[in-house]
Amino acid sequence: MKLRRVSVRAAAIVIALGVFSVSSVWAHHSFAAYEPSKQIKLSGVVTEFKWTNPHVYLQIDAQESTGGETKRWLIECASTSILNRAGWRFNLVKTGDKITVIVAPLRNGEPAALLKQMILPDGTKYGNGAAAGSATIQ
Amino acid sequence: MRLPMVIRATLVTLLALGAAASTLLAQRTPVVRGINGSWEAYPLRGEGFGSGVPPKTPVAAPQPLPEPPLKQPHLDQWRATQARNAELTRKGLPPPSTGMACIPEGMPGMMQVTFPMEILETPGQITIIQEAFTQVRRIYLDAPPIAPQDAEPRFSGHSTGTWEGDTLVVQTVGVKETVHFRNTPHSMNMRITERMRLLNDEIMQNQVTIDDPEYLTKPWTWTWMYKRWPGYKIQEYVCEDNRYFEDPSLKYQRLRVN
Repeated sequence: MKLRRVSVRAAAIVIALGVFSVSSVWAHHSFAAYEPSKQIKLSGVVTEFKWTNPHVYLQIDAQESTGGETKRWLIECASTSILNRAGWRFNLVKTGDKITVIVAPLRNGEPAALLKQMILPDGTKYGNGAAAGSATIQ
Repeated sequence: MRLPMVIRATLVTLLALGAAASTLLAQRTPVVRGINGSWEAYPLRGEGFGSGVPPKTPVAAPQPLPEPPLKQPHLDQWRATQARNAELTRKGLPPPSTGMACIPEGMPGMMQVTFPMEILETPGQITIIQEAFTQVRRIYLDAPPIAPQDAEPRFSGHSTGTWEGDTLVVQTVGVKETVHFRNTPHSMNMRITERMRLLNDEIMQNQVTIDDPEYLTKPWTWTWMYKRWPGYKIQEYVCEDNRYFEDPSLKYQRLRVN
């Protein structure tokens, strides 16, 4: 009984440390350029899907869910291996597909954003790995 | 006629004995010592970084890395850099990094295993492949040590290793001076000692010690841990297009949007 309690506590410590260490292990760059708390929802058509490292990029002609003009957005995703491990595939999206994304936009106002969640027309949702964070809006 | 026969028979016997001895020796020092295969960082680092499967027997996580015990004025400079980077990050202006130019981490950074790694045990050599940037280290076993002044500067340096009981002890010299792990400067006389040992069937510990009398007041030591990831196949990672660049006037990372 006592042993089990100890191992549960050890596991809790391990998980907590794991979560805290995520931000410090991202070697390529920090995500500081993106809004830390603001998230927006964009819907539109894929104009390019670049399956590259260190980052995968989606380019979409999209409009915000709150309205406004359609703009060409650059959406930053994680690396190919992180996305593969999160359930993506190199051919998951193609030019012309209609998608919805929940993103954190750049703080400087340029039309680029960090992906939090991608929603395909059939409703399936894809995350962008632990370092990028998850969607806080729907 | 008879004497050569005796000599021949003796030779055959000696050869047979030699073969038996080498077989025995090979059995006593097997090539595969149980660290072969894929590994991820431990504690686990969340979605996309690894398997998400906790070990059957968790062990306590290692302590966070201490501050590098740099000599002055390097320590003050290091602290000022850390403070400036934190301030830039707070303002939403990420500090520049070598990763912007697709430059790999090198040693010892690649051993923090941000992305999974593969260990290959072959006769006389252990090879470590880090998925990020497809970094490769070759550790030559029981090879003569390399003097730092003879080591061509490299990102991963030059590594020699030896098994001390259940512990693989690896010495690395010859890491390029431009490779700054955690923004820490070092000289060409830096020596990295790693002591890798299995704590149980799934968890491996790597006790790292950095010695550099030119820059450090004492050895800089910490522990990393890895968890076995059976069946994981290391993926290709070529850093072909990093869209981040250094803003020419303000010296922070910017994204090339168009």
